[in-house]
Amino acid sequence: MLAKLALQSLMDRKGSLALSLMAMTISIFVLLAVEHIRYQAKENFSNAVSGIDLIVGARTGNLNLLLYSVFRIGSPTNNIRWKTFENITSSNKINWAIPISLGDSHKGYRVMGTTADYFRLFTYGKQHHLEFSQGRAFAQMFEVVLGSDVAHKLNYTLGDKITLAHGIAKTSFSMHDDRPFKIVGILAATGTPVDQTLHVSLQGIEAIHMDWTRGVKVNKSTLNAAELKKADLQPKSITAFMLNLKSKMTTFEFQRTLNEYAQEPLLAILPGVALSELWQMMRVLENTLLLVSALVFIAACLGVSAMLLASIRERSREVQLLRVIGAPPPVLFFLIELEALLITLLSCVIGIALLATCLTFLQDFLISHFGIYIQSNLLTKNSLYLIIAVISTSVIIAAIPAFSSYRQASSIKTD
Amino acid sequence: MAIELANIRFHYPSQPDYPILDIPDWSLTDRERTFIHGPSGSGKSTLLGLLSGLLRPSDGQLTVLGKRLDTMNGRQRDRFRAAHIGYVFQQFNLIPFLNPIDNILLASRFSNRTSTVGLNKEIKDLLSELNIADTAWSRPTRDLSMGQQQRVAIARALINKPQLLIADEPTSSLDTANRDAFMELLMTRVTDNKITLLFVSHDLSLSHYFDNVESLSDINRPAGSE
Repeated sequence: MLAKLALQSLMDRKGSLALSLMAMTISIFVLLAVEHIRYQAKENFSNAVSGIDLIVGARTGNLNLLLYSVFRIGSPTNNIRWKTFENITSSNKINWAIPISLGDSHKGYRVMGTTADYFRLFTYGKQHHLEFSQGRAFAQMFEVVLGSDVAHKLNYTLGDKITLAHGIAKTSFSMHDDRPFKIVGILAATGTPVDQTLHVSLQGIEAIHMDWTRGVKVNKSTLNAAELKKADLQPKSITAFMLNLKSKMTTFEFQRTLNEYAQEPLLAILPGVALSELWQMMRVLENTLLLVSALVFIAACLGVSAMLLASIRERSREVQLLRVIGAPPPVLFFLIELEALLITLLSCVIGIALLATCLTFLQDFLISHFGIYIQSNLLTKNSLYLIIAVISTSVIIAAIPAFSSYRQASSIKTD
Repeated sequence: MAIELANIRFHYPSQPDYPILDIPDWSLTDRERTFIHGPSGSGKSTLLGLLSGLLRPSDGQLTVLGKRLDTMNGRQRDRFRAAHIGYVFQQFNLIPFLNPIDNILLASRFSNRTSTVGLNKEIKDLLSELNIADTAWSRPTRDLSMGQQQRVAIARALINKPQLLIADEPTSSLDTANRDAFMELLMTRVTDNKITLLFVSHDLSLSHYFDNVESLSDINRPAGSE
C-alpha cells in the first residue's frame, strides 16, 4: 500500500517527475556507459591475446607495437626482414612463431598475411583456439579466411570473391583488383579483433604486390596464375611476429636478446606488460571520466532530493492526514525514500534500455573506427555493482528530504 | 468512561509559563455524543491533539478508552489512534490523488487489523451504505464533490470500527443541505456502531444533535484566563 501511495504521489506530480527522471536517466546512462565501455574495452584487449610470450616488430613504442600487431589499431612504423624472422625462429628456445604482415584492407577491415599455422596455434581469451564456423584454412595463394564480423557485416559466404585494397583507409583508390581472393573459410566469433580481420597467406600478400613499387601499382599485371606459382613468393619482409617460448623462464632473457639484436633494430614486448602500461596510461582518463560521471549522478540525486524536499512543504496536509490515521514518523521517512527509490529504479531501467539501444546501433562504428567490440549486453557483474551503488547513493541522498518529512511528521499537531 | 482528564496541562516546551490547556477534571461516558464549542484560540485543536494521542500532555492523567495515553510513547499512541480512534477534519480529509477505496485502505493499513480478507468488500459495502455511487469509487477524491468527500471521510474514519470518533468542524465547508445530510448520516452511524462522539464546531445550530453540549472555556482554565 505504501508503494502504491508513493507511486501515485509521484504520478500526481508529473511535471517535476518527468524532469527528475530525465536528469537521473541521463546521469545513469553516462555513468553506466563510461563503466561499461571501460570494462568492455579492457576485456576486449585482455582477451585478444593469450599464449603469446613475446611480440616482435620493428623498433617503435611498446604500445604501438601491441596496438597494431594485436588490435589492428594504428600503423606499423617499419617492417622487419624475413631473414631476421628465420634467424630468430631457428632458436631452440622457441616453441612456435607466427609471422604477420599488415598493410592492406577490405572495406575498412584489416587484412593480415600469415601462415596456416596461425589458425592452429593462435589462442585468445582463456586459451581458446580459433574455430571455423564454415570452411577451412587457406591452402592456396588467393584464398582468404574471414573473421566472423567481416563475413556477417559484409554478408559474405564461402566461394565469394573479394578484392583487397592497398593501404588501411576505409576508402582506397589503390585496389588489387586484378587478383581477387576466394573465401574458403569463416571463423567462429571470438569477441576479439580476429573477428574484424581478413586472413590471407604471406604468399598471397607478396603476389598482389608483385607489380607494385613504393606503394604504387606500376602497370596492369601481366603475370598469369601459372607464372605466379613459379615466381619467388617468399616474403622479403613482414610486419611483426608472435612467439611462444618453450620455457617461460627464458622470456626476459630472450626479450633482451631480441632488443639487442645486432643485425636489425627490433623491439620485443611482453603483451601483458604492454597491456598494463596501456591501463596505467588510461587510468587517469578512466578515473576522470568516472569521477565526472559520478558527480553528474550526484547532482541529479541532489536535484531529485530538492524536488522531494519542495514537495514535502506542499504536502503538509498529506503528512498530517497520514499521522492522524496512525502512520508513525518513520513511515513518512520511508515514503519519501520509496519515492526516491522508484525514481532511481525507473531511471535505471530507462538508462539501461537507452544505453543497450545506443550500443547496438553504435557497435559497427566502434568496431570500424576504434577496433573495439563493445557488447550491448549490460548484464555484467561490474554494471550490477554500479547499479547497486547508484541505488544506494540515491537512497542515502534522499535521506535529506526523508528526514525533513520525518521531522515534519514528528512535530505534527492538528490545527 | 470513554475519556477521563485529570489535572491536564499542556504548554509548548518554549513557553512553560503559558499553558494552552489547564483542565482540572473532565470526562465523557461511553457512547456519549458531545458537542464542544469555543472561540478560535481557545485550545480546541490542542485538546483534540491530546485526545487522539498526537500530542502528549505536559502534566496530568489522560485516559482514553481505559488506556493511559500520557504514559505511552509516540509509537504506542500512533498504534492506539489507528486502532481505536476515527478522525474527521473540516477539509483535506483525504489524499487527493488516491481514489476513495485506496484512501480507506490506507487507514486500515496502520490499524491492528491482522487479516485483510474481505476488506475490499467491506469498504465497498460501507461506501454504498454512505450513498457514494460506485462510479466515484475509482476516481481521485479531488474530483469528488465536497459532500462526497466528507462521506468518504466518514467511511475512512469508520473502517477500523473505532470506539471514539473525533470530528473537528467537519461541516464548516458544507452548504446547509449537505451539512444536514452529513449530520444525519454521522449520527446514524455513531448510534448504529455504538461509538463515542466528540464533535467540535463553531456552529451552535448543530447542538440539537448531541446529548451533551459544552463550552471549552468552561472546561479549560489556563492561568490568566479569569
